[in-house]
Amino acid sequence: MGFIKDERPQTICVEGTWSLSSYHYKGSKLLEQYVKGLKQKKLIGSFCPGCAKVILPPRNLCGRCHRIMDGRKTVSDRGTITCYTVSPAITKGKLKVLGMDPVETGLIKDGEILIPVFVRFDGSDSNTDTILLNAEPKAVHIGMRVKVIWAKEPQGALSDFEGVEPI
Amino acid sequence: MKRNAAIIGCGQTKHSSKRRDVNVAEMVSEAVYNALEDAQVSMREVDAFIVGNMPGFGGIAQPEQWLGDWIGAAGKPVIRIATGGTTGGSVGQGAYYPVASGLHDVVVAVAWEKHSDSKEAGATSGLLHVGLGNLFHAASYGLNLKNLMAMSMVGAAAGVAVYQAVFYMHRSGCTIEHFDMVAAKARRNAARNKYAHLQWPGCTPEDIAETELLAYPFRYGHICPASDGASAIVVAEENLARKKARRPAWYKGLASYSDEENQLQSENFGGVGVLDPSEQRGCWVSAMKAYAMAGIKDPQKEIDMAELYQPFPSQELIFAERLGLFDEGTAWMALEKGETDINGRMPLDPSGGVNATNAIGSSAMQRILECALQIMGKAEEHQVPKKVSNAVAHGWGGVTNYSTVTVLGDSPGR
Amino acid sequence: MKSESEIIDVKTLPFTANFIWATGFMMQRFIEELASRKILGVKCPGCGYTYVPPRSRCGKCYAKIEEENLVTLSGKGTLVSYTTGHVALDGQGNFIDLQEPAIIGAIKLEDADSTIFMPIEGIEPRDVVEGLKVELQWREETKGELEDIRCFKPA
Repeated sequence: MGFIKDERPQTICVEGTWSLSSYHYKGSKLLEQYVKGLKQKKLIGSFCPGCAKVILPPRNLCGRCHRIMDGRKTVSDRGTITCYTVSPAITKGKLKVLGMDPVETGLIKDGEILIPVFVRFDGSDSNTDTILLNAEPKAVHIGMRVKVIWAKEPQGALSDFEGVEPI
Repeated sequence: MKRNAAIIGCGQTKHSSKRRDVNVAEMVSEAVYNALEDAQVSMREVDAFIVGNMPGFGGIAQPEQWLGDWIGAAGKPVIRIATGGTTGGSVGQGAYYPVASGLHDVVVAVAWEKHSDSKEAGATSGLLHVGLGNLFHAASYGLNLKNLMAMSMVGAAAGVAVYQAVFYMHRSGCTIEHFDMVAAKARRNAARNKYAHLQWPGCTPEDIAETELLAYPFRYGHICPASDGASAIVVAEENLARKKARRPAWYKGLASYSDEENQLQSENFGGVGVLDPSEQRGCWVSAMKAYAMAGIKDPQKEIDMAELYQPFPSQELIFAERLGLFDEGTAWMALEKGETDINGRMPLDPSGGVNATNAIGSSAMQRILECALQIMGKAEEHQVPKKVSNAVAHGWGGVTNYSTVTVLGDSPGR
Repeated sequence: MKSESEIIDVKTLPFTANFIWATGFMMQRFIEELASRKILGVKCPGCGYTYVPPRSRCGKCYAKIEEENLVTLSGKGTLVSYTTGHVALDGQGNFIDLQEPAIIGAIKLEDADSTIFMPIEGIEPRDVVEGLKVELQWREETKGELEDIRCFKPA
């Protein structure tokens, strides 16, 4: 049977654009210290003096007890997968991000399967959103132990943290 | 002293992917005038308007200023509410306060979305506006582009709902086949609702299972559509409500609580403290508060049906448990037994819900409207066969952390 | 800790959202008829208020307005208010200085009750007064587009 169709006449359209990059966004310098840590292959989270939570990457305010998270704590670069998803094979034309096709630009191999994961690093109380590399999609499971894949020559950028791989 | 307030009329437009025959003002006014006709109330009797849609969606920054006189609001108070995905829920609750407080006797609430006016996927330019600042921030600290692609892949499929579903599956034992069942039920129910969008009479879980996998565990057939449409309700104080409606739908309890944001990253790309995004503490607190106000002690026994905000099938199961309609981790078992069907013990989304019709700003309002229709006995083809004394309407949105819970009943309650 | 809570400017990446607003049936008629150099309005069957451009619901008496209520208006009218602009927006959040100041007028067409906002040309800003009689100027070739109305000029 399938879906019931609802067809309606099309009236004249007026076109317009909204340039979202014309806004002047502001950000905090919290990430600056975090990426400095990455350069030394260290994961530095913020520590809450109220509930002792360690959040990675750092944030200013604790979302639960609303205290200023002015403490810092280095956590392990090993952790546990708490959640995952598996993409279908990404082929040319399948995905577009900010107008770019990642297969065309060579970021993703044609037909590559991505495994986005949540990782809880030992000593942290938050999930870090990253990707699982060097693993078979079938092997990924909640509870899987992983470690950070560091860039060969860390630059002090978020990209120093390339992803995680099974231990 | 608060006054009793009831919904005495409901109006909707037909929802579909493209309402290119009307502009936004025409579409919204269609729902408002349908609601007035249903309530047998003249525009002159309306004291005030509460309106809302998603901020930025459809590319009109202040739509209420354009459509004010299209909905009869010239010379009357208009308040616009925009709380993200919960907008409709907040608009539907927003109409209660001025009536209960005694400020106004009759208030019209209307919510809408017109996705087809946007060329961007899912009309998400409004959301991107919020998310972009964060993304740009991360990009200026050298975010790994492959990571960005992976996040976008998840975002394009279903945002944080993917992770939420995996968490729920892991802790409850529910499987992808249960999501097929929920989605098929939504399409079948929608086929009985003349205003719904994705209508598929006789749709089976096998039909859904044949669709392409987008991102584990979601298939194409699981995902809600992007709809054009509007919905409106007329809310009146007790004397007028009793005069105008044979069976008004009374507001018995309502609450709206938020939790810590639990989308992928928080402000300034910081981490998120909620370890399980299917925990939905805001919904749980809202439900407890709304039930207390309504005098409901055991929702499993006292609630007769529910309309939940479930753009993704996993969410019907997660939120049904958060609303206390089933024990923790058991909603999928009730689904298997048919308890959540239109003629089941606890019908969930007999209208098809958000999974079948998603005009985002209006989606949470429709949950309230649909509960009102069931109580008033006006749901026609999708009327549940049992008597509906208490119904619960739920809305979800924000940075996946806002919730609205509204309990309607066939008597004003306490 | 003070240094960490400092606020920095975030570099933006290019992203422009595109929109296609449906105009609806009444507005479609208005736009189509511009091709034959006609200005359409509607006279509300309930209260007689005449709207230009036409619309399908009266904001004054709440009556439904139908196609049969369409009326043709002359391109002549009266300036009821105006302003002079010296800068324009470039769509990227910036102002551009205009070489010549632009006059925007609120014009009430003959037999209409509502006003339309249009550029006024062919007159020096200091000579513009309320009550000025103005006339619509069509572009050379009319195609049934909003751009068919070029501007208004003193009659």
